[in-house]
Amino acid sequence: MAPKRPAESLGESSSSLKRPRTQTDNEDYLDDVELEQEVGGVSPPDTPISGGNKINFSALTRRLAAGRDTLDSDEPSALTAHRRQQDKLVSHVFDQDFTWLNLKPDHASRPIWISPEDGHIILEAFSPIAEQAQDFLVAISEPVSRPAFIHEYKLTSYSLYAAVSVGLQTEDIIEVLNRLSKVPVPEEIITFIRDRTLSYGKVKLVLKHNKYFIESSYPETLQYLLKDAVIREARVVSQPTDTSIKGATFGTTKAPAKPTLPVAGSKELEKKNAEGSGKAGGTTVAGASTDADLFTSVVGVDADEIDDEDENVHSFEIDDTKIDDVKKRCNELEYPMLEEYDFRNDTINANLDIDLKPATVIRPYQETSLSKMFGNGRARSGIIVLPCGAGKTLVGITAACTIKKSCVVLCTSSVSVMQWRSQFMQWSNVTDRQLAVFTADQKEYFAGDSGIVISTYSMVASTHNRSYESKKMMEFLQSREWGFILLDEVHVVPAAMFRRVVTTIKAHSKLGLTATLVREDDKIADLNYMIGPKLYEANWMDLAAKGHIANVQCAEVWCPMTPEFYREYLQERSRKRMLLYSMNPRKFQACQFLIKYHEDRGDKIIVFSDNVYALEAYAKRLGKAFIHGGTGQTERMRVLERFQHDPRVNTIFLSKVGDTSIDLPEATCLIQISSHFGSRRQEAQRLGRILRAKRRNDEGFNAFFYSLVSKDTQEMFYSTKRQQFLIDQGYAFKVITHLDGLETLPDLVYKTRDSQIELLSAVLQANESAADLGSDIQAKEGDLAGTVTSKDFGMPTKGRPAQRTTGSLAALSGGQHMSYIEQNKSANKKLAKDATSRSKLFLNREKKMAAAKKESRMAGGG
Amino acid sequence: MKAIKGILLTCDSAVKQILLTMNEKESFIIEDLDDFHLVIKADEEYRVRRELETELEKNTYSLEG
Repeated sequence: MAPKRPAESLGESSSSLKRPRTQTDNEDYLDDVELEQEVGGVSPPDTPISGGNKINFSALTRRLAAGRDTLDSDEPSALTAHRRQQDKLVSHVFDQDFTWLNLKPDHASRPIWISPEDGHIILEAFSPIAEQAQDFLVAISEPVSRPAFIHEYKLTSYSLYAAVSVGLQTEDIIEVLNRLSKVPVPEEIITFIRDRTLSYGKVKLVLKHNKYFIESSYPETLQYLLKDAVIREARVVSQPTDTSIKGATFGTTKAPAKPTLPVAGSKELEKKNAEGSGKAGGTTVAGASTDADLFTSVVGVDADEIDDEDENVHSFEIDDTKIDDVKKRCNELEYPMLEEYDFRNDTINANLDIDLKPATVIRPYQETSLSKMFGNGRARSGIIVLPCGAGKTLVGITAACTIKKSCVVLCTSSVSVMQWRSQFMQWSNVTDRQLAVFTADQKEYFAGDSGIVISTYSMVASTHNRSYESKKMMEFLQSREWGFILLDEVHVVPAAMFRRVVTTIKAHSKLGLTATLVREDDKIADLNYMIGPKLYEANWMDLAAKGHIANVQCAEVWCPMTPEFYREYLQERSRKRMLLYSMNPRKFQACQFLIKYHEDRGDKIIVFSDNVYALEAYAKRLGKAFIHGGTGQTERMRVLERFQHDPRVNTIFLSKVGDTSIDLPEATCLIQISSHFGSRRQEAQRLGRILRAKRRNDEGFNAFFYSLVSKDTQEMFYSTKRQQFLIDQGYAFKVITHLDGLETLPDLVYKTRDSQIELLSAVLQANESAADLGSDIQAKEGDLAGTVTSKDFGMPTKGRPAQRTTGSLAALSGGQHMSYIEQNKSANKKLAKDATSRSKLFLNREKKMAAAKKESRMAGGG
Repeated sequence: MKAIKGILLTCDSAVKQILLTMNEKESFIIEDLDDFHLVIKADEEYRVRRELETELEKNTYSLEG
């Protein structure tokens, strides 16, 4: 029906992507319509019924279209009547009816749909040019959902803001959209893009020689801003003599390197990246990766594509003390300022002499994300989103090594402070003296003029009384200027705390790192103006396909409740319900089966349970080691060490401590038995534990992620909710309703009804507080509220409340218990025993040495 | 004895438990046969089915919800 020219039009559209700017696409489209008239000559394009040019949203409409095709030879009047009926049906079935949008004649080769109402963009990910389209869409819009075949993106003000900040131009955005779209870009969307990008990114706030400048390539904009009283007052007039002429009002400098056209850029960028990484790889293998090499591989990407036009940049200076007012005012005027840091020309702040170690190799996507940050040779502020286990830390460290100025790293807990510290030591050549840690227990200063301070958000943002040392340290942090501030896990930090951090520490550029830019309270938008736009968001599926993160098979295992448990569950109205569904005997069996199955495969398994009562019960019953908040430090270390190195210990049970508080070893299989309600973040974080699995490069290697869910309970609801984030990233959860071979498993736990009932009565006797989640962890000073204890994510933690229970004296003294003997010993204890088995030879020697020491001390003292 | 028109329900064990709890509020079960079968009053069938549906729906997550 519509003239199909797949080969030509594909060639045309892909070549047009490279072409900077030819004719506008509207003309292009009109041409095509005329062409259609000539070739097809069926119906004039202005009637609503030009055949074949309709959006087919689903199988239903597709079927209708098929019917229409056969009818096309009929009389136009019959066709019209038929179409009218169809349209009525379509708008009846769907809320939104876009049949009035005319398809372009060569729509088959164009990959995207644009919804005129809400700015949603649907991408056909199977299209041959989908990859380029994806690069472009990621730059201008927010990914909503990215499963295998159809991706959904959304145009928002912030995403357009981000697009402008990485150097895209309004007209280019519209043009490229038009080229990719199956339908002409709707007027509403064009106006939206124009409106948003008109003001965004026109004004930049630049710190040069420690003075704030407002910079813009558009003198009118600066004129406009200067008309505002607040901004005029804040202006520092350097040349008071000439005020009359517009041109002389601003200092004029040459424009910095400006990146070129969006898609062309991203296409070439890819090529360059390939070369760049090859180069980086080559040099690092040779062991001679110099700073310059690194820099070109990171920054050179855009620098090579400097646009021919030589723009002049106008600027005026702003008083340092009034910078906050100006920023606020600019936001109100809808001219939000981009913040950039010209770190290479900063001569006032001392350089920090650090570099990546020669052996450090950056992966292509890490490079891409950094190239967005250092696009024009300056450091932009913004957020980089990478999946857990994809090397966020290394991105941060590389950024610090590129800027080479004093740097503050803020993370969420004291454990991650130590992790960052060791990562810095591992990847870069920073010395111990340049690296300082500021936590509740440790307050260090770096030696020399410049260095790195690693601390936690709450240490810096705390408004409580501080110890003398902390006060000193804070004064130190506030007194100086920092080149770079790195914000880890930005999505968890409350907005108020953030503001305090950002205002107390004066940093030229900010970089936020996160894996999951979702919050249960949807406060993500706040980050946009506090840090900056999202610079880069990786596609999880892409990284997995390229082998940077492990391939994960996700499965939800449905365990039916036993009738007895379900009966109690239905009657119970309190929190104990939770305990009932996590202690479901069938879940026990499923867990045992999966552990057995994966241990036989040679996997290392981590079992997560937020509920400590269930955790202990499972671990003891199945004879596995476990760690929860109550486990002592030495025991923890021992268990973890065994898990990592002992081939006999392949499974550990972890409570919520595993989420944040301990540095977890690698595992290849993960089983969840109870979790924090519907927290999407926790789910993603836990998945991250197996994404970094080392064996991921083996052919066909898969990591496994199981969620055990008790059927017909609330857990089903929460479980589906938790998965949403991962599903949007393209993960598919398989549902397993029956584990094959479960019944025949030797020594299956709780096989008989009697033992199940015994378990049930034990659960019923348990204290109600046993049903609490994450009750085992106490936050330390300096840990961010809600990230470690996280009874409720993001809620301030209170002290442990007193508990009152009624019970008879006999019961309290244990008189009513069935037995005093503990049959079910913790596997941790066994580990302890094993550990002490050292050779007599060494024991004797140690004894002797100790005795000798004692003697000498006695002699010295006497 | 008066005859009551009954209907045989086949269900899984979880649904049976839900029905049993519902029965405690308002009796409609005539005979509890085994783990998977119940005989209930025929004229209550519609109401029971509806209530069961809402009960099961509670555990389903929908994007709008």
